[in-house]
Amino acid sequence: MVRRYCKAGKMRQGFYVGRVTYAMLVAPILVLIFLFFYVPVGLAFFWSFFLERPFGGGSQFVGMQNFSRVLSDPVYWEALRRTVVFMIIAPGLAIGISLVLALAADRGLRLSQAARNIVIWPKAVAGASIGVVFVFIFNPFLGIFSPINDLFPGLWNPRIDGNDAFATIVVAQVWNGIPFNFVILLSGLQAIPDMLVKSAAMDGAGSWRRILDIQLPLLTPQLFLTFVLEFVGTVVEAFGLIDTMTQGGPGEATTLLIYKIYVDGFKAYDLSGAATQTVLLMIFVIVMVLLQFRLEKHVKYER
Amino acid sequence: MIEKATGIDRTATVILLLGMAFVLAPLVIAFVTATQSYQQFVQAGGIRFRISGHFLDNIRLIITETQLPRQLWNSFVISLLVAAIKCAFAFTATFALVFFENRMNRVIFAVTIATVMLPLELVVITTYQIVANVLMPVNWIVKATGIDWLADRIAGVRVPELRLNLLDTYIGIAAPIATSCTSVFIYRQFFLTLPRDLPRAAAMDGAGPLRFMVDILLPLSWTPLIATFMFWFIGGWTSYLWPLIAASTPDAQPAVVGLAKLATTDPERIPEVPMLMTGALFVSIIPVTLIAVMQRQIVRGMNLSEK
Repeated sequence: MVRRYCKAGKMRQGFYVGRVTYAMLVAPILVLIFLFFYVPVGLAFFWSFFLERPFGGGSQFVGMQNFSRVLSDPVYWEALRRTVVFMIIAPGLAIGISLVLALAADRGLRLSQAARNIVIWPKAVAGASIGVVFVFIFNPFLGIFSPINDLFPGLWNPRIDGNDAFATIVVAQVWNGIPFNFVILLSGLQAIPDMLVKSAAMDGAGSWRRILDIQLPLLTPQLFLTFVLEFVGTVVEAFGLIDTMTQGGPGEATTLLIYKIYVDGFKAYDLSGAATQTVLLMIFVIVMVLLQFRLEKHVKYER
Repeated sequence: MIEKATGIDRTATVILLLGMAFVLAPLVIAFVTATQSYQQFVQAGGIRFRISGHFLDNIRLIITETQLPRQLWNSFVISLLVAAIKCAFAFTATFALVFFENRMNRVIFAVTIATVMLPLELVVITTYQIVANVLMPVNWIVKATGIDWLADRIAGVRVPELRLNLLDTYIGIAAPIATSCTSVFIYRQFFLTLPRDLPRAAAMDGAGPLRFMVDILLPLSWTPLIATFMFWFIGGWTSYLWPLIAASTPDAQPAVVGLAKLATTDPERIPEVPMLMTGALFVSIIPVTLIAVMQRQIVRGMNLSEK
């Protein structure tokens, strides 16, 4: 009994020290992420320097050839340009709309409760599922714009016009992206101490003034967070929408990098090319995230 | 309410109404169309805002004519696995990181948090190769350390290439989705708010670390655990790219992939839109109900990191 007590009490300044227990506790997650995260990431880097043949046909070291092949392909640069455009428009709209909604919901109106519940529903709808719905809604002959097409034939046709197709993907992405941003921004607004808003009101600041001078500046950390998450998210989340709505077309108007990787790797079996693009996209995402964190240092969070 | 601000409150009401309308519009359109029969839909020549009585017929069609019911079960199992793995593994690991004194703490925290930066969808190409043979790293180690050469030399045994294919299995689809360790971050924030004397008091009463974790920490953590569990369940349910390539047979695919496969039909023909809309609602109803009912718990549990 005494021995057991001693064993149980093996602590140093309130911290447990048992090494074996520690290893047992962290082992599951480490094995999981090693096997299914770090090995694939490492393998992608490895493959980008080799010419991999599909179906286990062997590999051959080719140095930087894969990179020069991918980077000299104008199709790749087009896809990159489209991805960047998409990454600016979709998160911008999603965060802007979420911010306005969050500011409105924060006012504690009768409608707020219902709105807070309903606005997060899209979070539970898969991109691919809502893509199936949106492709019908935007169908030039069957959807909501078909009356317009009856009057002006060919004005709206996402199957032929690349810009129309791109717009449908953006709308769907914004729809899917609102809930998460809304939740983060609303919780940020509600964490602002009442005292601050009230004292500003006593100083004669009206509602609009308080939004501009108190709520928005104090919301910077959450705004920053939403931008980081949305940027990374939109790079990959659009896949389900693209695959169900446009399959990258018409032409290649909606082929974003993530879709191109999928097509090159799993349809054309260009494993090295796909791995190289994966590596480039990973570097792109990491640079974006690090850039945003550098930016964060210039933002003041004092409350 | 600080002062009476009718103007801005009226604006806010309008904004909220518009927001709800935008969110609900696709769902309402899907539902209205799902109540129509294919004949009605073709006759009307497209979208019509008239509720008709064929919703149950369409549901019956989905249940009898498509694989969606079985795929719904797949989705359920996969999402459950994703949520369980994410919560359980992160819980024990975060417990170790916060309540143990160990030199590896910083490294392990960094290694787990780094997974958040790169979503699985980015690395599907090579993840596919690993899941197609999860013992591949073991083969590499055998080769790299020269064990195969030694075995051949000393015992004359050829070390076989080990193979274990997890494609088309529940665990093979769920495990890579579960690698993103956001939970570690959330639980850590929560554990750090707990009083430091808690493990000390437990130790005085003779409880070791595992007992403390199960009997004291676990009951205290229900709020964030349930919230994250729901959240990852929904995340598993809605993931698409990885299940699309990891599950090659309809029997193994989750419902979202099954629905997308249904939707890719011959473009020349008017698609079975009412059935597709029914299908879209059919595969979304469980997670949407979950989020609608549990909204408060999910948001509160996820926000613990903010407070």
